[in-house]
Amino acid sequence: MKEQGSPDYPGKEKKNDPLDMESLVGYILLTGVLLSVALLLISFVWRWAGVGSLRFEHSIVGMNFFEFISSTLRQVASRAFRPRLFLNMGIGVLMLTPFVRVLASVVYFAFVEHNWKYTLFTAFVLSVLTYSLFLR
Amino acid sequence: MSFHILFLVSIVAGFVGAMSGMGGGVVLIPVLTFLGMDIKHAIAVSIVSVIATSSGSASAYVRDRITNLKVGMFLEMFTIVGALAGAAITLVSGRRILFILFGTLLLSSWIALFRQRSEVWRPVGHQDIFSRWLELQGSYYDRSVRQTITYRGVRAYLGGPLMFGAGLIAGLLGIGAGALKVLIHDLVMGLPPKVSTTTSNLIIGVTALAGTSVYLAAGMIDPGLAAPIILGVVFGAFMGTRLLVRLTNQTVRHIFLGVLLVLGFEMIVRGIWRVGG
Repeated sequence: MKEQGSPDYPGKEKKNDPLDMESLVGYILLTGVLLSVALLLISFVWRWAGVGSLRFEHSIVGMNFFEFISSTLRQVASRAFRPRLFLNMGIGVLMLTPFVRVLASVVYFAFVEHNWKYTLFTAFVLSVLTYSLFLR
Repeated sequence: MSFHILFLVSIVAGFVGAMSGMGGGVVLIPVLTFLGMDIKHAIAVSIVSVIATSSGSASAYVRDRITNLKVGMFLEMFTIVGALAGAAITLVSGRRILFILFGTLLLSSWIALFRQRSEVWRPVGHQDIFSRWLELQGSYYDRSVRQTITYRGVRAYLGGPLMFGAGLIAGLLGIGAGALKVLIHDLVMGLPPKVSTTTSNLIIGVTALAGTSVYLAAGMIDPGLAAPIILGVVFGAFMGTRLLVRLTNQTVRHIFLGVLLVLGFEMIVRGIWRVGG
């Protein structure tokens, strides 16, 4: 059973290309989740070794996601490493993972596949997500 | 609530969720509220953990080339808008109604699971113009039958709007709503079961992020509370997937059906009589 010669079957023609969209999306998701889990583990191990408690008490209030990320990055830049910073980095990386995946899809559809239809679709998803992450 | 309790509860939720294929939220939220957490906060932290479990499993399926990225990315347009609306509704709605809705969801999943899902799939011969324009066809190599399965997605004009509803429920109740998405893929869009499940996994991550953004803006995401839950659910899901091959399907189903029934009734009763939460 052969379909009309569409070039974009997952798992057929593109299987040998090391940088196809499946690999790109797959590795972004994998890296994001592993990195986030590692950062969260570091924060808890450090916290436990430091004060013998695993409890953190702070909420992200009055900040939108991008402010939260930039404040976390500023602390990383000023090397103010503390368990709480790793905790925030872990949550930040986790939330950025699907976002970066959508961003990469837009770029891939636009510049590699030149598929304008799907560039538009993914760009819509990206703009709605960006808008919602600016909410506060 | 202490780290240990949150972590343990989340391991169990992730474990049961992965074994049943329902995701962690359906167990996590009732148990967290039972332990005294406010239902809206339980929904908010649960949806953050959904990002982790769905992205983790989606990464493997996408690299195996079973997931249909185009189907996923088309349907995401609908689910994220639904999730934003759903989460916004949760913020303003009463807690009792959330309990009742959650209980109803659990009981309807019980009915859906009780009628065992048929694994018989037949390819759709004719593809409508809209779905063809969307390039919703594909193929994957099925290891269990050792052959390449070719399929055409259909009725995208119906699948899209229905996905808005699935996104709405996901954002409203803090779950992945994977079962609902799979149902739409199967029954409406004619996708093979493996493609349905894996593509729904991909969509869930982005949908959960949209829901999370609303709860974050409302100041309801507490990293100290969310982190042990994320870790627990991820570890539980990892173990659940490993054990899945060893336990027979029937055992898993019976355990899970029992759990769903008890949790469903418990949530509805608490919603009606306003016990705790």
